[in-house]
Amino acid sequence: MKMKLSMYALETQDLTKRYGKTYALKNLDFTMDENEIMVLLGPNGSGKTTLLLILATVLKPTSGQAKVMSLDVTTQPTKIRQTIGVAFQEARGFWRHKPADILRFHANVCGVPKTKRDTIIEETLKDLELWDARNKLFMHLSGGQAKRLEVAKVFVQRPKFAILDEPTSQVDLRGKRKIWEQILKLRKEGSTILVATNEVREAEYLADRVTILDEGKFVVCDTVRRLKDSIAGGDIVELETDVINNQTLEQDLGKIEGTVKITKMGANRFKAYVSMAESWVPKMTDLCYQNKTRILSIHVTEPSLDDVFLHFTGRALQEGSNA
Amino acid sequence: MRNVLRLVWFDLKPDLKPPVWIFAEWTIFLIQVGIYAAIISQLVTGVDNYRQFLAVGLVIMITFDMASHTGRHFVEHAHEGRLPYLLSLPVSRSKLFLSIALQGGAELALMLVVPLTVTLVLIGNLTWISVLACVLTLFWLGFGVAGLMLGLSFIAFKSSDLYTAIVTGLSAIIIRFSTVLYPFIFLPAQYASAAAFSPLTYGSDLVRLILGFDPSILLNPAYAVGVLAALSVSTLSLGLFLAQRLVEGVKSA
Repeated sequence: MKMKLSMYALETQDLTKRYGKTYALKNLDFTMDENEIMVLLGPNGSGKTTLLLILATVLKPTSGQAKVMSLDVTTQPTKIRQTIGVAFQEARGFWRHKPADILRFHANVCGVPKTKRDTIIEETLKDLELWDARNKLFMHLSGGQAKRLEVAKVFVQRPKFAILDEPTSQVDLRGKRKIWEQILKLRKEGSTILVATNEVREAEYLADRVTILDEGKFVVCDTVRRLKDSIAGGDIVELETDVINNQTLEQDLGKIEGTVKITKMGANRFKAYVSMAESWVPKMTDLCYQNKTRILSIHVTEPSLDDVFLHFTGRALQEGSNA
Repeated sequence: MRNVLRLVWFDLKPDLKPPVWIFAEWTIFLIQVGIYAAIISQLVTGVDNYRQFLAVGLVIMITFDMASHTGRHFVEHAHEGRLPYLLSLPVSRSKLFLSIALQGGAELALMLVVPLTVTLVLIGNLTWISVLACVLTLFWLGFGVAGLMLGLSFIAFKSSDLYTAIVTGLSAIIIRFSTVLYPFIFLPAQYASAAAFSPLTYGSDLVRLILGFDPSILLNPAYAVGVLAALSVSTLSLGLFLAQRLVEGVKSA
């Protein structure tokens, strides 16, 4: 079945990628608006990179369709490549080239006007604190520098549609902030940006909307605020006790008034989704006292995207399998 | 086309700064011809001017090395993580393959400048026609070998160790069981039948024929031309077909 003319910056329909019997992506349907920052959130092996590689026309889908800026990934790959800019997860490559040369080559191939090219490269190298390393060989760059260089290609190119795969992995916090600022600047200039990450903080900082993927399947897509609000119970209480594998306590906690859900996080750790922590916590401490259970720690927080992931998939974001 | 040339130059540039490996190859060739070939030719009685015969063989070996390197370059791009990046550039797949081929051709041309000139001087046949005929034949052979290596690249996606072992073994066999180092008519029957399967046999005999070697010790030129044509077309088509299939399945390096 052919898709109708896309009104979206990105649209996928029943998108599937299979390696042998293993599904990397399964019947994925989702859309992105123009000038939006969409964050794909999921653990390792959830299909984020596979999706990005299909959109970048590096991989072909097994079945289904995907359109980037109304261009079909299967039938119009070269046109798509003229529209997109990609920063790959792994910053590997041209070992004997220098960062300045790599960016100049990338700018030339991607059609950055010569009049602007050198200025943009200089600005980007300075913004990402790579200026001093511009004449080092790639093989002599640190992991963080190499990663920043990978992302710098997209900032030099300033494409209509940017694809960034874990843009700040291996980068220190200062470097992360620099990259995030550049991503927001790129959006301000009109680009549509798709970011894959498994870092909750990155997703919360950047995303207009978050799409959660798990085991190659679409889970949910919405704004960060709405996703958090979708968890019943406004507060989260993390509780650590001195008793290992206490099933009675888990059941009793579930019976306290105001409890929405109890999730076991470890042998002696629980996460309670509750409606009002201020009335729930005293009841919980009384219960522990009666059960002769010592409380080692209590943390009361609002839900994070980690919790959203847990809520929708039943698994913690960091527990994803490596595939 | 401009992007194809940019890709070629970008890949080639680091090899020329400084061009140590080119000088090293030229030096090895000069040592081989100046010392080894000069001495060994005193021992060989069946072939007139064995030193010249061997010099042509060495040029063929350089061609083979560079052409296999070009075929393997695609695999290197994949294993060193460059392939996904190259595949994401606004260049069609056919132009990307063309750029790899052109880069290989440029490297081959650089490598051959000195060895081919020295060989032609040694033979006393340094004319534009002989240069042109030799270069065309060598590139023709190069296309066949590069296609062969490209065709084998699917093994590298299963196991790079297995690929290295197969290519190394195959390279040794293709060179030794050929007329690169000795004329076909002197080969024992069992060696000759193996040499008939080596593309280098046809490449080296054709170049020698062009340069005026005694045709009685060489293969029939029509046969050589036919085999080289079939080889280059078939292996290159197969290699490109397989490489394109592999490219579609590349997840990461």
